[in-house]
Amino acid sequence: MLGVRHHGPGSARSVLGALDELEPDVVVIEGAPELDALVATAGDEDLVPPVAALVYVAEQPRRAAFYPLALFSPEWVALRWAAGHGATVRFADLPATHALADREGEEHADHTDPIGTLALAAGYDDAERWWEDAVEHRTSSSLDGFAAIRAAMAEVRAGGAGDDPENARREAAMRRVLRTALKEGARRVAVVCGAFHAPALHPDAWPGATHDTKLLAGLPKVKVAVTWVPWTAQRLAAASGYGAGVRSPGWYQHLFVTADRPAEVVPGWLTRVARELRAEGLDAAPATVVEAVRMADALAAVRNRPSVGLSELTDATRTVLCGGSDLPLQLIEQRLVIGEVLGQVPETVPLTPLAQDLAKAQRSLRLKPSVVPSTVTLDLRKEAQRDRSVLLHRLRLLGVHWGRPGEAGRSTGTFKEAWDVQWHPEFAVDLIEAGLYGTTVLDAAEAKVAELAREAPDLATLGSLVEECLTADLPGALDTVVDTLAERTARQHDSLALLEAIEPLARTRRYGDVREADTSRVAGVLHTVVIRAAVGLRAACASLDDDAAARMRSAVDAAHRGVALVEDDALAGPWRDALVAVAADDRIHGLVSGRVNRLLLDGGVLDAAEAARRLSRRLSRGAVAVAGAAWLDGFLEGDALLLLHDRELLPIVDAWVAEVDETTFEDLLPLLRRTFSRFEPGARRQLGSRLRRPGTAEAVAPAALDLDRGLAAMNRVAELLGLEVAR
Amino acid sequence: MTELSTTATTAVLRAHAESEYAAELTALAAADDRPRPPQWQLSPWAVTTYLLGGTLPDGTEISAKYLGPRRLMEIAVASLATDRALLLLGVPGTAKTWVGEHLAAAVSGTSTMVVQGTAGTTEESLRYGWNYARLLSEGPTREALVPSPVMRAMESGSLVRLEELTRMPADVQDALISILSEKTLPVPELDTEVQARQGFNVIATANNRDKGVNDLSSALKRRFNTLVLPLPDSLEQEVEIVRTRVAAIGRSLQLPAELESLSEISRVVQIFRELRSGATADQRTTVKSPSSTLSTAEAISVMTNGAALAAHFGDGVVRADDVAASLTGAVVKDPVQDRIVWQEYLETVVKDRPEWADLYRACRELT
Repeated sequence: MLGVRHHGPGSARSVLGALDELEPDVVVIEGAPELDALVATAGDEDLVPPVAALVYVAEQPRRAAFYPLALFSPEWVALRWAAGHGATVRFADLPATHALADREGEEHADHTDPIGTLALAAGYDDAERWWEDAVEHRTSSSLDGFAAIRAAMAEVRAGGAGDDPENARREAAMRRVLRTALKEGARRVAVVCGAFHAPALHPDAWPGATHDTKLLAGLPKVKVAVTWVPWTAQRLAAASGYGAGVRSPGWYQHLFVTADRPAEVVPGWLTRVARELRAEGLDAAPATVVEAVRMADALAAVRNRPSVGLSELTDATRTVLCGGSDLPLQLIEQRLVIGEVLGQVPETVPLTPLAQDLAKAQRSLRLKPSVVPSTVTLDLRKEAQRDRSVLLHRLRLLGVHWGRPGEAGRSTGTFKEAWDVQWHPEFAVDLIEAGLYGTTVLDAAEAKVAELAREAPDLATLGSLVEECLTADLPGALDTVVDTLAERTARQHDSLALLEAIEPLARTRRYGDVREADTSRVAGVLHTVVIRAAVGLRAACASLDDDAAARMRSAVDAAHRGVALVEDDALAGPWRDALVAVAADDRIHGLVSGRVNRLLLDGGVLDAAEAARRLSRRLSRGAVAVAGAAWLDGFLEGDALLLLHDRELLPIVDAWVAEVDETTFEDLLPLLRRTFSRFEPGARRQLGSRLRRPGTAEAVAPAALDLDRGLAAMNRVAELLGLEVAR
Repeated sequence: MTELSTTATTAVLRAHAESEYAAELTALAAADDRPRPPQWQLSPWAVTTYLLGGTLPDGTEISAKYLGPRRLMEIAVASLATDRALLLLGVPGTAKTWVGEHLAAAVSGTSTMVVQGTAGTTEESLRYGWNYARLLSEGPTREALVPSPVMRAMESGSLVRLEELTRMPADVQDALISILSEKTLPVPELDTEVQARQGFNVIATANNRDKGVNDLSSALKRRFNTLVLPLPDSLEQEVEIVRTRVAAIGRSLQLPAELESLSEISRVVQIFRELRSGATADQRTTVKSPSSTLSTAEAISVMTNGAALAAHFGDGVVRADDVAASLTGAVVKDPVQDRIVWQEYLETVVKDRPEWADLYRACRELT
């Protein structure tokens, strides 16, 4: 009966000693019995901690329990010992099939650390050091130590702790496993469990078998599956299936690894600290490390502690190596005290097929999952890099956010992509969940997209799905999405939805070439969408309230950008005609109408004189001033150059503002303010000065140009533009 | 000699730590049965207790000299025990000099070996100088040599304090390098050297907020264990520091002022903390920070001023009127910027606290 502290390196060492002493033929470890399926792979060389045994509900992988194991976990030590000595391993706890049935993935309620409590009572703030002094150094036999722990825990329990029904059920389940093991003829059984449970599991304390059976009867059940997943040191620090997490996994690992060479604990640690500091370009000479070691020893002596602990090492590091600064210490905390290790799982482990496929892809693309965040910039013109981008896009579609799109830098090209890449162990769960869609990343992503397409609420969503099909290279799904899109378009009567679908489709059509995708079908759909939107545009713009008009205006803007992107006369013609019709209609809401007029003016369809006439009409005394302001807002959106350089427009606006009576002006003020505040400060200042001196606007051109002096500059510009210069 | 005896009849303005707390040091030495490093008057444990306060087995009460994390004092003592020089860093008023003095008093029994760092500090004050009359008459002899406090500390194996290390010119600082690493001080004129005895060590203090100082070279930095002394964590702790220090100064200046009511101290400290952190204590209002440091030391001086005013011109009870003038002086260091900050603070924070009306009125009268 070995009562341990979960993730305690001291406990792990003692367990090793006890197992060697006891030589059991059956080792029972605390943990859901379903984990027995994983024992076969536990001895595999490629299973590198930290790893976690994962138990999840087969239909709902979200509901899962993790049993993380680090190199210094007693459970891990026991598992490896059994694998090496041919002993049978059994896991004992409340079966996950029950535990996961009634709760939403949440694990055990007792997140207490009874050994920590004992250590605190003895005046230690670090339970590991207490274990070291109280258990390791005091007894020659580890078994005696564990017997003492059990006795102490019995006292703690006698104090009334651990009476909740949850705990009772768990211990009943553990005893049931023990009974089965004994019945099967095991001669020596070693039980590795949380120290708290040790007294209840000792044969002397067993209640009758019927008592336990009664406790475990009638519990709800779900179907569960198990697997190994790689884990990280950061995740070890969080609470998990084995109760509270450890705050300093890196330090514990160091303690465990150097356990048989106690003289190396302190110098070894500080040397590693110094190396990390040096890697960051900070001074950390070996001579200083020597001083830091002496400092840590002296601190332990001043604090009356039998050995140097993490707090002494941290203080020594700060004082001697970091010059009193806390900043480098944070680095040490992250890199060493916690650590950035990622576990590894052998290929033989019953991985989900999807995870296997992903592992294969990761290997072939040389994109190793790492817990250290990094930025990857991909050049989509190169095949290998494009494949990586495709993989990241597919995973994103599947809800595995390994990479997040980052800032591609100051490049306007469409062939570059930046990703912020960081692997989280939770992705294992996401992968299992995504595994419901298919067995390879490609299949799953296609199935997921098809499902999204079926459920898409509007055309715009479908449009962006088309885009994602391209970036994630999902030709099969592309057909499905385009089919759905074509079908929806046929049935869609809402012009607004059609307008909003245009831009993503146009982008797909335009940039699909970079990814060597076949976009001819997209072109067909795009054509239908644009024509239908153009036909319905004028009707759709009629009788809109302010909010609808604002939405319509941005939809028209987006659609216009889309049409311009494709550069296809078959699309641009009807679209232009539709805009002209809308622009000429005085009854259309000012926001839309003003915007459309501006688009046409910029496109050269409308001449400036006509635009000035329309502006004047809209802003004339007979028209409603608020509607005029809306028109102006739509018309002036964008940059202020139009007002600055057109001689006619500004005086019209100026005269209009001067004319409106005071009450109307108060209504107008916020609208106008919003319109003009969008301009850049410089443009606003210029407008102001232009208005203050109305006559000067025309005297902008200087009277006499010095052509000789200007010639050199002009030649240079022409050269830059690549024009022939006639000298 | 006659002069000395006359000064001895009136009490000194400020007694050295080792004489003011002589009783505590004696009691600690008596109770201390732990191993002492060579030449130390007390064991590391007793030094820590002396600094942080506590009760000895024989019932002697040791007053706390440093109010703050125990960890910091343990690091300081451990540093000295490893014969590594100790550098105390911090903004003014974080008790750097105070801690240094008490450490020296407790470890070596004397806090008088001290070199004050200024822009005019010369290498002689770190090494040795000459008595020129004897040098001329006798030539270079040991008797003509005038040892610096550092040299005397090396010879006697005690602690030497270097105040405001970063104010010394960089070339003078460099003279320390060989002393700290070789622990010897060569005297080429006499073709000899002084070797530091066991127990010799250096406690330096430096201000990490000051501008226009000579930063330590990395060679020197490497030879120091650096300990950053923080500003007090909580309002209560800072009030307690100000109260004990003002009471002590008041005693030595023989001010009869009444300091028992803490309200004025806690108000001043709260104002300092709020202006320093840029937010009110309830974290509801943002305030601007002035250019002044607003350290605990300045709060102490504001309160001492207030106590003096109350004692000599008032009824002996420190009131808002007594602190207002020095409070304004402490906050407003830059006559333009800081005055705006201070007035904003008065109008937005002080005015809205009904129980602070007297302080508001007193400060308004001054600005």
